[in-house]
Amino acid sequence: MAGLVQRLKGKQGRFRGNLSGKRVEFTGRTVISPDPNLKISEVAVPMLMARILSYPERVSRHNIEKLRQCIRNGPDKYPGARQYRDASGSAWSLKIPHRKRFADQLKFGDIVDRHLEDGDIVLFNRQPSLHRMSIMCHRARIMPWRTLRFNESVCNPYNADFDGDEMNIHVPQTEEARTEAILLMGVQNNLCTPKNGEILVASTQDFLTSSFLITRKDTFYDRSTFSLICSYMGDGMDLVDLPTPAIIKPVELWSGKQLFSILLRPHANVRVYVNLTVKEKIYSTKLDDKKRELKTMCPNDGFVYFRNSELISGQLGKVTLGNGNKDGLFSVLLRDYKPHAAAACMNRVAKLSARWIGNHGFSIGIDDVQPKEVLINKKDETISDNYKKCDDLIESFNKGNLKLKAGCDAAQTLEAEISGVLNGIRDTAGKVCMQTLHWRNSPLIMSQCGSKGSPINISQMVACVGQQIVNGCRAPNGFMDRSLPHFPRKAKTPAAKGFVANSFYSGLSATEFFFHTMGGREGLVDTAVKTADTGYMSRRLMKCLEDLFLHYDYTVRNASGSIVQFCYGDDGMDPAGMEGKDGKPLNFDRLFLKSKAICPSDGDDDILSSSDVHKVVQRKLSEVGMRKSVEQEASEDDSSADFIKSLQSFVKGKIESTELSTEEDSENLKKFILRISGITRRQLEVFLDICLSRYHSKKIEAGTPIGAIGAHSIGEPGTQMTLKTFHFAGVASMNVTLGVPRIKEIINGSKKISTPIITAILETDNNMNTARVVKGRIEKTNLGQVAKSIKVVIDSRSAAIVISLDMDRIRDAHLHIDANIVKESILFVVKGIKTAERVVISKEDDKEANTEKFKLLVEGTGLLHVMGIEGVHGRQTVSNHINEVSDCLGIEAARSTIIDEIKVVMGGYGMSIDIRHMMLLADVMTVMGKVLGITRFGIQKMGKSVLMLASFERTSDHLFSAAVHGTEDLIEGVSERVIMGIPIQIGTGMIKVKQRLSPPESLQGTPPILSYV
Amino acid sequence: MVDVLFDDIFRVEKLNPDDKKYFDKVTRIEARSERFDMFLHLDINSELYPLRVGQKFALQLVPTLNNDGTPDSGFYIGGNRESQADKFEYVMHGKLYKISEDSTRENVEVLISFGGLLMMMKGDPSHCNKFELDQKLFLLMRKV
Repeated sequence: MAGLVQRLKGKQGRFRGNLSGKRVEFTGRTVISPDPNLKISEVAVPMLMARILSYPERVSRHNIEKLRQCIRNGPDKYPGARQYRDASGSAWSLKIPHRKRFADQLKFGDIVDRHLEDGDIVLFNRQPSLHRMSIMCHRARIMPWRTLRFNESVCNPYNADFDGDEMNIHVPQTEEARTEAILLMGVQNNLCTPKNGEILVASTQDFLTSSFLITRKDTFYDRSTFSLICSYMGDGMDLVDLPTPAIIKPVELWSGKQLFSILLRPHANVRVYVNLTVKEKIYSTKLDDKKRELKTMCPNDGFVYFRNSELISGQLGKVTLGNGNKDGLFSVLLRDYKPHAAAACMNRVAKLSARWIGNHGFSIGIDDVQPKEVLINKKDETISDNYKKCDDLIESFNKGNLKLKAGCDAAQTLEAEISGVLNGIRDTAGKVCMQTLHWRNSPLIMSQCGSKGSPINISQMVACVGQQIVNGCRAPNGFMDRSLPHFPRKAKTPAAKGFVANSFYSGLSATEFFFHTMGGREGLVDTAVKTADTGYMSRRLMKCLEDLFLHYDYTVRNASGSIVQFCYGDDGMDPAGMEGKDGKPLNFDRLFLKSKAICPSDGDDDILSSSDVHKVVQRKLSEVGMRKSVEQEASEDDSSADFIKSLQSFVKGKIESTELSTEEDSENLKKFILRISGITRRQLEVFLDICLSRYHSKKIEAGTPIGAIGAHSIGEPGTQMTLKTFHFAGVASMNVTLGVPRIKEIINGSKKISTPIITAILETDNNMNTARVVKGRIEKTNLGQVAKSIKVVIDSRSAAIVISLDMDRIRDAHLHIDANIVKESILFVVKGIKTAERVVISKEDDKEANTEKFKLLVEGTGLLHVMGIEGVHGRQTVSNHINEVSDCLGIEAARSTIIDEIKVVMGGYGMSIDIRHMMLLADVMTVMGKVLGITRFGIQKMGKSVLMLASFERTSDHLFSAAVHGTEDLIEGVSERVIMGIPIQIGTGMIKVKQRLSPPESLQGTPPILSYV
Repeated sequence: MVDVLFDDIFRVEKLNPDDKKYFDKVTRIEARSERFDMFLHLDINSELYPLRVGQKFALQLVPTLNNDGTPDSGFYIGGNRESQADKFEYVMHGKLYKISEDSTRENVEVLISFGGLLMMMKGDPSHCNKFELDQKLFLLMRKV
């Protein structure tokens, strides 16, 4: 028998197991599989499941015949019904033989629990539900067989693959629930992630490969093949205008690129004009003879250019069609032509690709990974060269004359040098490998178009697996002084420390194999630890931020109404809608290109001079009433001033780049140049209209649960980070904790962090000597460092250390030293800051000024002291220790440190997260005036209600103390309302409709003649 | 009469300008014209129409293939009708997507895409007066 407290607490307890989450009916779960013929917004539900799941449909004159048939079919025959309810509310199961009678007496207003049918709205979900795109709304398609199927384009948001994954569906049971589900959670409305506005639902894997192959420069089709492929993308149901073939003579041939032009715009009545430029992975960075980029003329065909929905150049790959991109084809369609166009296009790409690649064929064979003669020779050569280098290094290390690296001892230097050499082997082998592969090589194709695999993966198969890393170092010594008994003691040769010279094709030797498993196991352990860590982190973030949402006045408040932010993200924009880099609302360059392309300059439209351009801009701005805000120099409450300024400076920049005409140009030439590079009035007006109207549509909606979105946006990327420390840029030997451990430190608001680093900016930052002087002032100096000499004296009876002190220096320092203290004194700090363990001078090359810049990196704490050191620019000196910054510079500084530090960690893994999410987190952590971590202690101090705290952690403690103190709970927050089973006051639950109604007319007629009273 | 946008005789100077074969069926030729001294990069389907270094070819750009000069409708009608193409060996259809001036302002670059096969012609602006952005045009080639 469980005790009372045990019943309440824990994951399976009453609070978390039964009150915060409940078991529900109308759900299904089975294995998933792909089906490119489905639309992205559809999910195929097995008929077996559709017979169990039902929806209560109300009978009306539109559906009465259908529902009659359903009732006649009964619960076991599809399409049937499971239950029948009449208006009075009494229900009958249809598992009875005389269903026909119910069908006959069916009348309007009755409710039939019919089987799921095509087009019904279902929620589709895959665990772990890390962000809101893990549960989306699809339309059901009832299909035979036993799996749930969906278009591969939707794998990304669910993070699903088909190696045995299972997923769940839920069927909303009321019209209101359906409407909300399709509008808020529909796949079409969640194409891009609110994490940073990048597109998430996009083509993957085979779709990318086949698009890449179709758009190759040398794919040509004759008339019949071309028409056939055209019919692939629309099931042969679309009207297609056959374009003029690219090659008319000697034979009519259409190019693969023309297929994509058709895909975007099948016939003249489709008004979709896509304009974009993208640099694909294969784009060559070579410059032409005038030092300009080659752009479309790239010999690799890596520059994708769509002009008015016509594919001008470029082989399409992941950057254009894939996810995680803001300027790709689908992002542009989504922004310019609304989700429907993007979704339709994805459907067409899916169908075209799947069918095309089915005919074309694409597979990997053993010949794909066989190295060529050249490669084998080159590899053997590099390996023997570099092994020689390593041997030399080891020899000089043994002799003790290895040149030390800054801040490293001999062993560390050796390790660093050898790692460098060994990495070189893999890189050269990889490079040669990629060069020698034929273009038809399947792994090469996949890596080039970005559908699967990297150059490293290929070279591991073909050329060389490379160094195995365990714990950030080469393979450790598991035996005495050696990694494995196959090697001599103290061996430091590449092979003895885990370098795998073989490829997966040539096969690994026994020792290599063992080292490889060591590396592999670390990866597995990492993943296991990481999932638990990030899961708990996400839960804490969610619990802390769940009740924050945006009010109609753009303030962000928590459930009890206290303000966290006065204006969300300082500008009130929706992170999901941001089109530009770094969370800027718009990508002006692209819009400018688009507006120039969609309004061609014909003869009668004049080219504007720069003053005219300025006038047009001013007029447009005042039309929408935004000019005022600029002239008043950004009155505090107007967040759009930044945007207007950036728009103005963009237009100015555009005009200046073309207004360089020299005097000597002939009149005719001038006209010509203007014609090809000038901007017409109409083009400019269209551009400004698009910019201004779109800016306003990107304001975030009131009621948006930005707290929850922010928690998702920070928690979800955590799962993708590997637990590793990174080397500090530029400085060897300086390790900084990054990844999940660092995020945890920041979020916890830890008092003690593992690698505190103060970055001290110098007052004179161009001189190495001054940097050294200041370094001396900061770094702690041990007694040993002021001794003249330290000798070890060992005779037959005793061993002693003789220290002769530099008496001049000691006298200067007024130190009182006797023999007893010497021993301890060696560890004492003589000069510098006690907490500053180590100071490293970091050098930065300023490319523009061609000078070197120095700054100091102080390992340790003591920001206040470092700032006060002479020669340090105190105002620009920063620390990564949030609590320390808070203590010495105040809460605002702590807030911006939190933002910066999260940005640094995420940046280290190449993840971009909208700054608004980090701002919100930092604000939540600092609103109370001191840094509160997102932990049970921090959350407790944030003024949350008892029920919420009880459902978080330490359930019984909170309940007892609430009982003792008689705490009141207003049931305002999300957790509380979920526990009580009432709608939460966020989003659509935020508003209550109040309506003044005249009191209902009394239905009583004349008083009865006889009454009981 | 057909309004010829450009007409000249070119000599092939190089195949694949950076000496690397990127595609099996498509070759980029570098050529220079005799009359106007225009510089040309052109992707051709070398499987159908191979060219060697040193060969000369006549190149014409026209807005329509109709013999009477009526503008091209934009809709493709196949079949063996009499047309401008009869006198030529290799014909492509494409769109002019960019005209830009050189950094020195002496030369003009005209860029055309024939369904992904690109053409870049560089030379004196006076010979490029008839070109317009987004023009649909035909390229006619014949060895001489």
